[in-house]
Amino acid sequence: MVVGAWICLLAPLGGALAITLAGQWISRRAAGYISTLTTFLAFAGGLVTFFGLWSRDAEEREHLSTAYTWLAAGDFQVGMEILVDPLSAVMMLVVSGVGGLIVWYSMGYMAGDEEERRYFAYMSLFVFSMLLLVQAGNFLLLLVGWGLVGLASYLLIGFWHRRPEAVAAAKKAFVMNAIGDATFALAAVLLIWSTGALEFSGVFAGVEGLSGTTVNLVALGLLGGAVAKSAQIPLHTWLPDAMEGPTPVSALIHAATMVTAGVYLLVRAHPIFEAAPDVQALAAILGAVTLLVAGFVALVQWDIKRVIAYSTMSQIGYMFLAAGIGAYGVAIFHLMTHAFFKALLFLAAGVVIHHLSDEQDIRRMGGLKTALPRTHLAFLVGTVALVGIPPLAGFWSKDAIVASALARGDALGWTLFAAGLLGVLLTGAYSFRLYFAVFQGKPQEAEAERSHAHETHGEGPMSMLAPVGILAVLSAIGGLLSIPGVWHPFTHWIEETGEPLVEATAGQDYLTSAISVALGILGIVIARRAFLLDRQLVTASSAWRAFEHKLYFDELYDALFHRPSAALSNALRRRVEGPIIERSLNEIGSGTILASGGLARVQSGLLRTYALAIAFSVCVLVIVFVAVR
Amino acid sequence: MGNVLVWIVWFLAAGACLGSGIAVVSLTNPFYSALALIGNLASLAVLYLLLAAEFLAAAQVLVYAGAVMVMFVFVIAYLGGRADAPWAGGSPVMQTAAVVAAVALLVEVVVVLGLAWGDDLKDSAEVSDSFGSPAALGELFLTDHLLAFEITSIVLLVAAIGGVVLGTTHEKGRP
Amino acid sequence: MSGPGVGWYLIVSAALFGIGSLGVMLRRSPLIVLLSLEIMLNGANLALIAFARQVGDLDGQIFALAVMAVAAAEVAIGLGLIVAMARRDMALDVDQASALRG
Repeated sequence: MVVGAWICLLAPLGGALAITLAGQWISRRAAGYISTLTTFLAFAGGLVTFFGLWSRDAEEREHLSTAYTWLAAGDFQVGMEILVDPLSAVMMLVVSGVGGLIVWYSMGYMAGDEEERRYFAYMSLFVFSMLLLVQAGNFLLLLVGWGLVGLASYLLIGFWHRRPEAVAAAKKAFVMNAIGDATFALAAVLLIWSTGALEFSGVFAGVEGLSGTTVNLVALGLLGGAVAKSAQIPLHTWLPDAMEGPTPVSALIHAATMVTAGVYLLVRAHPIFEAAPDVQALAAILGAVTLLVAGFVALVQWDIKRVIAYSTMSQIGYMFLAAGIGAYGVAIFHLMTHAFFKALLFLAAGVVIHHLSDEQDIRRMGGLKTALPRTHLAFLVGTVALVGIPPLAGFWSKDAIVASALARGDALGWTLFAAGLLGVLLTGAYSFRLYFAVFQGKPQEAEAERSHAHETHGEGPMSMLAPVGILAVLSAIGGLLSIPGVWHPFTHWIEETGEPLVEATAGQDYLTSAISVALGILGIVIARRAFLLDRQLVTASSAWRAFEHKLYFDELYDALFHRPSAALSNALRRRVEGPIIERSLNEIGSGTILASGGLARVQSGLLRTYALAIAFSVCVLVIVFVAVR
Repeated sequence: MGNVLVWIVWFLAAGACLGSGIAVVSLTNPFYSALALIGNLASLAVLYLLLAAEFLAAAQVLVYAGAVMVMFVFVIAYLGGRADAPWAGGSPVMQTAAVVAAVALLVEVVVVLGLAWGDDLKDSAEVSDSFGSPAALGELFLTDHLLAFEITSIVLLVAAIGGVVLGTTHEKGRP
Repeated sequence: MSGPGVGWYLIVSAALFGIGSLGVMLRRSPLIVLLSLEIMLNGANLALIAFARQVGDLDGQIFALAVMAVAAAEVAIGLGLIVAMARRDMALDVDQASALRG
């Protein structure tokens, strides 16, 4: 069973290395096959692990497997250790499963690209990094995985590196992630200092004895990392720009897996957060704020991928909300279902973009349901799942989150409940706006010309359609793993690693579901009405402009951070580096020449001067010798 | 009476020594300087005699005055007019500094050494009549100081060879 | 010893040494420099012999004899240098022999 986990972790790494080392000696398609097969091999390893865990009793479901001791300094030791427990098993399956499907899809999407091999090497690197992150048995290894996924994200966002927008977006993503990495690292240092350990077991045992400030600081540091990685407010501005990368990248990294790493961290480190309840509440509040802001902004975006990106941000806000109030199983459940339908939406959007020869503006799309019937069906399934209409996946998971907020009961709980419900309304509105704009209505004339090129192979190659289909099926039935009041295998499975702080009763669940389905349908109706009347959803022009500019966060950060640091750097360059540092090098040279010239004049070449010097030295030395004696 | 004689001889010899020394340093005609040096060496020989170093006094006159100075005079004769040594040149600063250094040295020896070792220098040891005789010196050279003896002879050999090398003319016109 | 004590001889020796060093430092003709060098060496010899007399040990005289031999050798070489300089028609001026200038 543990072997399965190691295979799961190392297979993608092997794939990445193989592709990198093979270089030009393998064909581009071969690189795609290597990547896909190793990822599915990882999935197989994950299945072995999962079934191995399932067959054991509840108490025996936590295994730490150490490959070797990595760092040892005095009493402090850190090993290359992976943790096999219910939470990591589920994450392994999600990452490798959805990842495998997306890599398979990429074989079709990226076919013909010049640098396909590099793409697949990076994808395998990413899958390995993400698996390392979720399988890590200590905070240090988790941080390593954390950093590596940031790296893979940077490499893949900037994959088309000749596009300056892509390069800029990659840099932005990396820098914002680095802020999170820094706070995470500081938290890890604080942990070493206060508890002397970094493995989860050691840390969680030691959390009891820490002072309030220490625990709060550690929790804040971890939360900072989570917020940056999961693109929550205030470190969210990189996610929409990250859509510059290829669509499968957006699906895998920025919808299904990497951005959910923050949620995973919140659940994994829950003892720390439970010891710092204010920080945990802050996480929930940030989640709620993000889900609303992202929902509003998504109402007016016209780039198909950006709408889905904001939707991702919003849904992760739901997950943060859940983790923040202590409903861990529910949070991971939504993570899984969200991975299904969000990846589905992105991949279907990819089919659309591919079909229209890289057109992403929804104002120039329309009526594609006749041209792309299967994609249309898949997209519809995904959208309905997103809104949360039963019996599709999103319904079960999202409503469980909102019900947990209701179950919490205090002022915070009611606020979160209201926010969650408002979010459902917004979700219905923006997602169906997208659906109507892309698939309904009249086909545009230009679209008809562009799609001629793709007449020959219909909607797309099998490698692209099959994963979409599989994900559609999963989005449809994946939610049935947790039916309130009846059947809770999934949440109970996760809750072995973390006791939830709140648990909604069946009655609260039913009430919440009723309200949210109603709100969802209301949102759909509003969207449809706007579409039929050919109107925007947001008509107040100031609000429209604010939303279109993403609430001016980018401008704010530019003024707050970028302009002062650019001004400071330029000033330093002109005042300090130029005159002082660069010129000092010259000064050192000319100064040495001057000094040596001066000294050289002592060497007059005149014997008499030398004799005089000797005579003087003798005088001095005589005095010295006599005095010392 | 004998004591007074010794003192008179000493003063005469010392005076001649210093006077001829100053003459060597200050005369412009090198020939006269060489002659003054011969006088210096001779008065030194007298002083050596007063110090019971008979052999050395004789060696001084034979080797120094007899051989070395003859060499000097030969070279001065060879050089002829080119050997003229006027007092031209040298910065005044350096000249003052040189004088200062020399005077300082003298003062140092007198004052500093006198202060430090004045007491030790009062008495002289009693010496036998054979002190400073050739036999005594020869015995020391061939027993205690054999190494110095041999090395000195090697130095002289090297100097002789060096002199020949320096003076050789090469066939191709290179001096 | 009747007569002047060793201190007087030392004064003469120091004076000779000083006069010689003045000559070395102030004169420009190499010949005169050599002559002054001889004076310095002789001053040292006088000191050696005076101390030998005072201590009663002949080692000082041995040393003085060795000094004399070395001085003779050095004069030979020095004169050889001067002759070589003259043969090359170089000016006999120590200030002009400044090829060691840094």
